[in-house]
Amino acid sequence: MTAALLTLADSRLPAGGHTHSGGVEQAIAAGVVHDPATLTAFLRRRLHTAGAVAAGLAAAATALSSSGRHRGQVPFPVALSPASCSSGESPAPASSELVAALLSLDAEADARTPSPALRAASRQQGRGLVRVGRRAWPSPVWDALPERPHSPLALGVAAAVAGLTPRDAAAAAAYLSVSGPATAAQRLLAMDPLAVAALTARLAPEIDEVATADGVPAAADPLLDLLAEVHAARKDRFFAS
Amino acid sequence: MRTLVEVVACRGPGGRTVLPVVRAGGQYAVRRTGPGTVHLVATAFGPLGGDDVTVRLVVEEGARLCVRSVAAAVALPSRGAARPSVQRIRATVAGELDLAPEPTVVAARARHVAELEAELGPDGVLTAAEQVLLGRRGEEPGRWTGTTRVVRAGRPLLHTTVDLGPGAPAWLPPVAPRAYASTVHTGSDERPVATGEDAVRLPLPGGWTATAWGTELHRVAGAVAGLTAPERETA
Repeated sequence: MTAALLTLADSRLPAGGHTHSGGVEQAIAAGVVHDPATLTAFLRRRLHTAGAVAAGLAAAATALSSSGRHRGQVPFPVALSPASCSSGESPAPASSELVAALLSLDAEADARTPSPALRAASRQQGRGLVRVGRRAWPSPVWDALPERPHSPLALGVAAAVAGLTPRDAAAAAAYLSVSGPATAAQRLLAMDPLAVAALTARLAPEIDEVATADGVPAAADPLLDLLAEVHAARKDRFFAS
Repeated sequence: MRTLVEVVACRGPGGRTVLPVVRAGGQYAVRRTGPGTVHLVATAFGPLGGDDVTVRLVVEEGARLCVRSVAAAVALPSRGAARPSVQRIRATVAGELDLAPEPTVVAARARHVAELEAELGPDGVLTAAEQVLLGRRGEEPGRWTGTTRVVRAGRPLLHTTVDLGPGAPAWLPPVAPRAYASTVHTGSDERPVATGEDAVRLPLPGGWTATAWGTELHRVAGAVAGLTAPERETA
């Protein structure tokens, strides 16, 4: 663990995450979230679905972009993505191979994110992360990403170029999947910051569990898809997603 | 019990679909019930925990295959160790596949895993529907984990796992439905986003995926039908 990981998971990192509520704004509007108990339930379902997928994708992106240093640490499911991982033993993919591998991983992210609103939110945050990441950790590896990558891919590349491991990237992705919505709920419901900090802290064991799972899961929550699409159609929203 | 079902559909003389391979063993029999239509018939009670079913479907170019079942499947718990019952459907579709079995009911303490993996050719058309009810009337819900992966010409179009029932980490009140229905279509009919009460339709390349959830299966199935009916075009 290094300070680079703390930097990546810091809500002060100007990657644009603060403009997204991770579905919590619409969950509040729908009456699904209204107090600390219902917020905890919402954060847990988000952690185990969108958070788990983001963690897996981020770890895979880090493994791909780390010139083989961490290959094998996260067994990327070869069967899922023949184009990207048929050469799992290749130590340092050439740049064009990395471009293809990240593009293929981006397609896997799309397949796991059928909601257009959630895709847009992810790509918007991915672009924000690339912008700040390029300045913070300059590297040619950034050029291998698609123009508006899914957020976990940008996070994975940031972790790689910052010298972090796939597990670190997964930890940051899993943590961010709850910290952002928790802060948004605190603001929208004017909740006690101590209560929100405490319930987020109590999720730490589950966040760790999600961050250390193998592979790239496809866990979906149709409720989050519905909330995201209803939210995107609203004119009076406070958050972008 | 291990079960393997295999059906191959080809384009025959005059463009009619013929089924040169219709094979089953274990807990299913397969009946030809129409030109290009087969029904799966359960020959044993269950599935029980530990049962393993693989259904291999091949639909060649120009052929159309409909797969149905004659009755709801009731997944029951295994007596000893808590093993899930598993049903894997592997489809290779260059023609058109329409897959709509009767609902799966997952009894209390049972665990059922359903997987659909479809590889589509450039012109392949897939419609796959599933309906799930957790628990028979008056009993606790069982657990159902369903994964759908659809790939066209090497590119993944949809890959989702929905995990419902006690022990599923994201199956949490206030939204912990007992009934769930989902239909995915790709290949001929692209539709925009539509939302309803506990129901959502999302676009896919050349298609859509529609999902609904709630307490009663007939209402949930009705919600999916409302989002997928050809005449209703709401965005």
